[in-house]
Amino acid sequence: MAREIYAYKCRRCGTLHYPMRMVCKNCKENDFFEFDTVPLPKTGKLLTYTTVYNLPAQYDVATLGLGIVELENGMRMLGQIEIDNPSTGMAVKGSVKVVRQEAYDSYYGMVFTAA
Amino acid sequence: MRDVYVAGIGITTFTRLEYPLTEIAAYASMMALRDAGVTEVDQIYVANMGAPRINHQTALASAVADSLSLLPAGAAAIENGPASGAAAIKAGFQAVASGMDEVVLVTGVERMREVNNLEATDFVATLTHPLTEYIYGVTLPAHAAMFARLYMEKYGVTERHLAMVGVKNQNAALNNKWAHLQQKITLEGILDSPEAMTNNPYVAEPLRFFDACPVSDGGAALVLVSEEKARELGRPMIRISGVGQATDTHAVFEREEPTDLLAVRRAAAAAYEMAGIGPEDIDVAELHDAFTILEIAESEEVGFFPKGEGHLGLEKGETALGGKIPINVGGGLKGRGHPVGATGVAQAWEIVTQLRGDGGKRQVEGARIGLTLNFGGFGNNVVCLTFVRED
Repeated sequence: MAREIYAYKCRRCGTLHYPMRMVCKNCKENDFFEFDTVPLPKTGKLLTYTTVYNLPAQYDVATLGLGIVELENGMRMLGQIEIDNPSTGMAVKGSVKVVRQEAYDSYYGMVFTAA
Repeated sequence: MRDVYVAGIGITTFTRLEYPLTEIAAYASMMALRDAGVTEVDQIYVANMGAPRINHQTALASAVADSLSLLPAGAAAIENGPASGAAAIKAGFQAVASGMDEVVLVTGVERMREVNNLEATDFVATLTHPLTEYIYGVTLPAHAAMFARLYMEKYGVTERHLAMVGVKNQNAALNNKWAHLQQKITLEGILDSPEAMTNNPYVAEPLRFFDACPVSDGGAALVLVSEEKARELGRPMIRISGVGQATDTHAVFEREEPTDLLAVRRAAAAAYEMAGIGPEDIDVAELHDAFTILEIAESEEVGFFPKGEGHLGLEKGETALGGKIPINVGGGLKGRGHPVGATGVAQAWEIVTQLRGDGGKRQVEGARIGLTLNFGGFGNNVVCLTFVRED
């Protein structure tokens, strides 16, 4: 089964949220977590990025690429980037992979490459 | 609401301190209590971000109260990320302004060097959004770097401008004996010379080593009192005239305009409104330069410069000592150091020092109104305070 990263759609007003909220940021009228999950699109353009050199202890790599991507539906997300010469505005496509590995846990998130 | 005055201030050296956390807090507090001339307080607020995680100590305020023999005063710790310090000052302000307390001790403290740099970086990164930021390995330098890249592309800020902030603030720290960094740096050494890439490597492109504040231990404290008590104590009358605070989205990428620091703008606007002043009235400011880009962006959001023109003011020397609006004349976070929980209180310490005219070599001539901007999260929780000297 393909893994997805989900946005949360308010059942009352349709506003999409990522990250999730317990109360809708638009209508603010949810009784209790009235959201449907909708997979985030996986293509978009790179808004900004960095290469990090001093990483948290869990990362056994020399550098880590990170970027903020504007997805094709206008929502934004942060992800890891695996792009040799990134530039702002470039088209990227994402896939869901392990982005953080701890002793007994694997965390999945979006990793973007050049589209 | 009653007026609230700062009757006493205290600080420790910001550096790597081989003392227990409680003692660092107590030392700064004792200096503030002695400065104010009080031996009893009604309430203690201790600002701290990492004691439970870094120092394996909880309920810090109770420890500080007992250590200072201030029993049975009320005591509580306030954790609000890197804006803990100013959030604790706000709590102390509210306690006195409400009429509930006459004398409140506000102490900010952090001992981050108990762990190594990677652990300290990870500890600070835990303030990011757990599911959409932290899991990716995002650190505060990474956030600042992505923000800086946008800023550079949109407004023409260059690595040279960033380095200029670093040089200005780190060299300003040479005039502050309590500051962590006591080493003069030059643009030549960190940017222009062939050795610059060795001296000043990237930590998160486009930010380099000298664009980031050091990881520090230290404490700072204020004694807040009512007007009646302030007159009785006879210290210079420094009033907290404005208090503003604002929050913003937890995940940075979600903000409509990613180069805006809305919470900074809103916190400053609220503080100005309460004080009945505007940015043009500020004589001296302490901005939260955890990264050089932040001083530039914040100088715009608090209204010293139009949006996108902060780096131009920097170029002209307007933010240096002797300029139109001197910023971080005691070194800022970059030079003084950034023990996260202590920073907001240390900023107030510097402003009160300036308004009292005790700044020595770094004194802003005739300073009467000052501002502090304490920036929590990556701009998701910001506290702005204004201070005025009443003659």
